[in-house]
Amino acid sequence: MLTKDFKYVGQTYPIHDAPQKVRGELVYVSDLNLPKMVYAKLLLSPIAHGIIKNIDTSKAETLPGVIRVFTHLNTPNKTYSRYRIIPDQDFCLEDERLFTEKVRFVGDRVAAVVATSLETAKDAISLIQVDYEVLPVLSTPEAALLDEKTKIHPDGNLIYQYDYQLGEQVLVSNDSVEVETTTRTQKVHHATIETHVCVADYNSAGKLTIWAGCQGAFGVRTIVADLLELSYNKVRVIKMPMGGSFGGKQEAIIEPITAFLAKEVRRPVKLIFDRKECIMATMTRPATSTTIKTSVTKDGILEDCIVDTVLDAGAYATSSVDNAYAMSKKICRLYRIPYYQHQGKIVYTNTPVAGGARGWGAPEIMTALEIHMNAVAKRLVMDLVEFRRKNLVHPYDRDKASSFSLGNARVIECLEKGAARFGWNERYYRMPDKGRYRRGVGLACAAHKNGMYGGFPEHSTMTLKMNEDGSFILNTGLHDLGCGTITSIKLITAEVLDIDPSNITVLEADTENGPYDFGSYGSRVTYICGACAYEVAKRVKEKILECASLIFRKPKQYLEVANGTVGISGHQQQTISYREIATTAKTKDNTDIVITHTYHGTSNPGVYAVHFAEVEVDTLTGRVRVSDYLAVHDIGKAINPGMVEGQIQGGVQMGIGYALYEEIKIGNDGRILNSSLANYHVINAPDMPTVKTLLIEQGGDEGPYGAKSVGEIAFVPVAAAVINAVNNALGTSLSDMPLTPEKILAAL
Amino acid sequence: MQIEFKVNGEEYQMDICPTMRLVDLLRGKLGLTGTKEGCGEGECGSCTVIMNGKAVNSCLVLAPQIHGQEILTIEALEKNGQMDRLQESFINNGAIQCGYCTPGMLMSAKALLMANSNPSEEEIKIAISGNLCRCTGYNKIVHAIKEAAEE
Ligand code: FES
Ligand code: FES
Repeated sequence: MLTKDFKYVGQTYPIHDAPQKVRGELVYVSDLNLPKMVYAKLLLSPIAHGIIKNIDTSKAETLPGVIRVFTHLNTPNKTYSRYRIIPDQDFCLEDERLFTEKVRFVGDRVAAVVATSLETAKDAISLIQVDYEVLPVLSTPEAALLDEKTKIHPDGNLIYQYDYQLGEQVLVSNDSVEVETTTRTQKVHHATIETHVCVADYNSAGKLTIWAGCQGAFGVRTIVADLLELSYNKVRVIKMPMGGSFGGKQEAIIEPITAFLAKEVRRPVKLIFDRKECIMATMTRPATSTTIKTSVTKDGILEDCIVDTVLDAGAYATSSVDNAYAMSKKICRLYRIPYYQHQGKIVYTNTPVAGGARGWGAPEIMTALEIHMNAVAKRLVMDLVEFRRKNLVHPYDRDKASSFSLGNARVIECLEKGAARFGWNERYYRMPDKGRYRRGVGLACAAHKNGMYGGFPEHSTMTLKMNEDGSFILNTGLHDLGCGTITSIKLITAEVLDIDPSNITVLEADTENGPYDFGSYGSRVTYICGACAYEVAKRVKEKILECASLIFRKPKQYLEVANGTVGISGHQQQTISYREIATTAKTKDNTDIVITHTYHGTSNPGVYAVHFAEVEVDTLTGRVRVSDYLAVHDIGKAINPGMVEGQIQGGVQMGIGYALYEEIKIGNDGRILNSSLANYHVINAPDMPTVKTLLIEQGGDEGPYGAKSVGEIAFVPVAAAVINAVNNALGTSLSDMPLTPEKILAAL
Repeated sequence: MQIEFKVNGEEYQMDICPTMRLVDLLRGKLGLTGTKEGCGEGECGSCTVIMNGKAVNSCLVLAPQIHGQEILTIEALEKNGQMDRLQESFINNGAIQCGYCTPGMLMSAKALLMANSNPSEEEIKIAISGNLCRCTGYNKIVHAIKEAAEE
């Protein structure tokens, strides 16, 4: 139990750049204008599968204002993976090139125009004529696996398959119950309100600069530098303020192309995707189909769990293999299961490219799992809470997959406290509604991770320097996606140094001027980077005490920091300010107070949430209103509780959309049927319930001040909680997402 | 064509192409990049500005339509170094995450409060129903607007 009160950690602070944001002053990549900047526009394939037979750019080239036109004919045919984070990374299939000769989905890159204005570039694009040889379109994984003649990529349509087993297969008891369910999850658009934008410049010194709204500047550098055959010291990627990401800007989608164009035309180039391009031609959450089969004793104890997942990667592999593999590692972090088996297939289709999306596989698999768990409990005629409580992991259980400790895994506490707070029993066991409007309640548990330790290298580096006046600059490789990362890191540093956070500046990633970091994904930022900030601040504090000890002429163990000063323990009157210490260190002791520290992750505990939803279904229209919502999170320690709550509320919003409305609809011919926000429904304010939160803060793991992750896990249980509530309201067992009014009416 | 209009209290005369959108005029010609563009089709509200007291999507307004009109953008919300209470309330209530929706959200809220100084929660939600925010789940935004109205 954490009992110590902190000064800054645990208090609510606004996001660091809020004052600029409310004034419209913050410069996002979209707002960036450089002298002599020119604009690029892409020609995207209108067909889902075909070979370019002929491409005529002559009319476009002669349009006044057009600088150059690029196609597969005059650009490198080198292939790359947009997913790569580090050189030599496994499972980064290099299957895409800047401009393709064979189009594989509606939205594939065919050509680009660079012109002095965006208008001209657009006009020129419409003048390019392309003849395609049309190939059969494989718009679903089933079709792609069946049709062996039509190969989307040379090696066939099955990208990868795995069969993964954990534990010993046991003989299930003869009175066991076997339950099987299948859940389908759909492709969704990340719908960041700022679309994908990039600016790049290549100067006469041979230096390429990329201004990117990205999640991993060093990954972007790796991809671009290796693709364009530039030395890494000649490529500078600057992480810019960005209008949301949610995984949609994790991979280098438009940076390679913008960088290439800038290098070719030797002028700063800006490439802006409009909403339609953003929906069709960036990334989607992968569509999955998961069948789960479990054997359970009649007392409700899980004996085995057999899972089969097919993941639709779309036209290029990007992160899909890792994404699917991540799914297989999740279930045993949540439930105690003696024998676990997971088969997965990752399949190319002629549809938009799938990739990283908030939760990285966890939302897909946990939705399937929690719909399944309800089906099992129903079959056993067992209380939903009771059944889960019997099988959930306990604190310090071992993760079956990694054999590391799950840490202080408080999921049972989340479930019990949440059920009490929500009034689960009263609501679940009340008389069902009979009229037009039917209320129902649902709950779902979820597990996720804290960083990449166990499956990937995991470290972070930061440099903390003390200025002459006693203020600080923390140089990092961080990426604030709008989630409040910078503020959290500042609070952690301020807590260690015992100084008001306004005296600390935290810098974001810049591959030229800052230290290395893998990026903002894998729920690693607070847990790993936060611990790095904690450690570097502790070391700087030691240095401050050493310098102060020279001034006081007292050993440093007699000294302590308080409020930006150092004093002698027990003698509050005698203090010297950080300013005096920093200046004296420089001038008298010839010392600079600066430390660079690399923190290595050595654990990856589970992070947990249990969500409770109440819905009201209109049986006449099939529309669902989420009328009440409680999110309970095992967060270890909330560094900035107001922002934590905001992350959870945002996650719930996205999850309700996932459960009920959102889907990138794709026709049999591969055409996208809703490539506009007019027909792709994102939840707005009137649709949104008040989301109550309950944080379980029991610390016990290696994160800073005991903190664990929140941004991704906040999304993970939502869809299952809402779907379970709808099924409870209607007595149905719907599991084909999203639960649109049509599907609901059809099920009644 | 020649048009005259006011933006944030300043008068402009300009020769513009009649198909130019207001959002491009503001961002491109006047350098007022606080107004954002998220969809270009009137669906996200990030380009919201106030035209003669009403919130409008500047991506749907063509430049000739602002002839003789008065436009307010996010840059005018702060007056004489004093933030509007909506701005303060957004900051204090954690209503901002990535901030890309924030200018549009604030302008819709401002237009609401200009017309109705004491809106109900329902009225607030309706007033910002055309402003999409993907980060916050709206709870804190609605609360921030309510608190600003109550002050
Ligand atoms: S940009 Fe105008 S409403 Fe979206
Ligand atoms: S704060 Fe990111 S869209 Fe609203």
